[in-house]
Amino acid sequence: MADDIPKRVLVIDDATLVRLYYRSALERAGFEVAEALNGVEALEHLLAARFDLLVVDVNMPKMDGLSFLQALRAKGLPLSSTPALVTSTESAPQRIAAASAAGANFYVVKPLHAEALVQYASLFCGARHG
Amino acid sequence: MIFTEAKRYYVERRVVDRMLSTRSDSFEHYFARLRADVQGEIEQFVNAFTINETYFYREEHQLVCLTSDLLAARLKVKPRGEPIRIWSVPCSTGEEPYSIAMWLLENWPHVDQYDIEIVGSDIDTDAVALARVGVYGKRALMRLPPRLVERYFVADDGASWRILDDLRQSVRFTAVNIVDRADTRSHGRFDVIFCRNVLIYFDDLARRTAAENLFENLLPGAFICLGHTESMSRVSPLFDVARFADAIVYQRPMR
Repeated sequence: MADDIPKRVLVIDDATLVRLYYRSALERAGFEVAEALNGVEALEHLLAARFDLLVVDVNMPKMDGLSFLQALRAKGLPLSSTPALVTSTESAPQRIAAASAAGANFYVVKPLHAEALVQYASLFCGARHG
Repeated sequence: MIFTEAKRYYVERRVVDRMLSTRSDSFEHYFARLRADVQGEIEQFVNAFTINETYFYREEHQLVCLTSDLLAARLKVKPRGEPIRIWSVPCSTGEEPYSIAMWLLENWPHVDQYDIEIVGSDIDTDAVALARVGVYGKRALMRLPPRLVERYFVADDGASWRILDDLRQSVRFTAVNIVDRADTRSHGRFDVIFCRNVLIYFDDLARRTAAENLFENLLPGAFICLGHTESMSRVSPLFDVARFADAIVYQRPMR
């Protein structure tokens, strides 16, 4: 894949400030970013366009992050294989295990600093950013 | 410049401002000073009507205090999972509440860890309507570093900048009269209230009523920031003074 095609990230979080924080960090690093307020919206986005990475909050109204991931992983390829980075304020091992079971590829305990987010996103997307 | 009756409040605010700055104890005293143009008062007076509008990152030391001390103090006593609520009142055309949101994004490493609710309120419904639109001229942005203007605004044309949609949606705007208890009560309780440069324009009774109303809008142990020339101690005995490295603020006692 050519390097000049921007990698696309979908940020899924119900808090407007958090979406803006993540989006602004990723855009500065050259990613293309879309946002969803919950799992339902995220699934809509995914049906309409391809993404290289999903950044998924756990606690959200309508459809929480883990239910969203279960729904996504049950879909057909290649959609179901989109990598997902789960962000959460919970650090208990059983929470991480639950996220992993739901289909998370990686789990980060908030706060997630802008630079760290860009690094993770670059690793997942195989992009030269950051 | 022509001011209609509807702008009386706007005019009074600025006249009182100049009276305070010149330590005039009556309007007659101030008017004599203005007519004689003592120490270039005519220019100062005109400036008060033209360049004394609010701007982004005004009284930055209080924003520093917010992220270096106030929020940490609140998180120590708040039950886990409760949102952090911040109230900017009066918010005028939105510069202050948007500044708070921007400041948190730029300077508070825990910004993604908590639900943060920012409310901006003003008695002037025209101002609130403009705040919701979020379009600003050069003067309002003069204190913002260019990289922040680039990050959080879209240039409409050469003379105005529109705040990003996400930032716009991160602040909820309402109309409020802080002297009206029913009005303030419906806003609920906050962790930090910014109430700058409004109490000085009230008479003693209105000032005390407003202070008592705002006290009820604070959670136990929560903070209220006034303008740097204002003192709550002279208005109401309800509050404790809290001194931090960057600002002196007032606090509702824990019990």
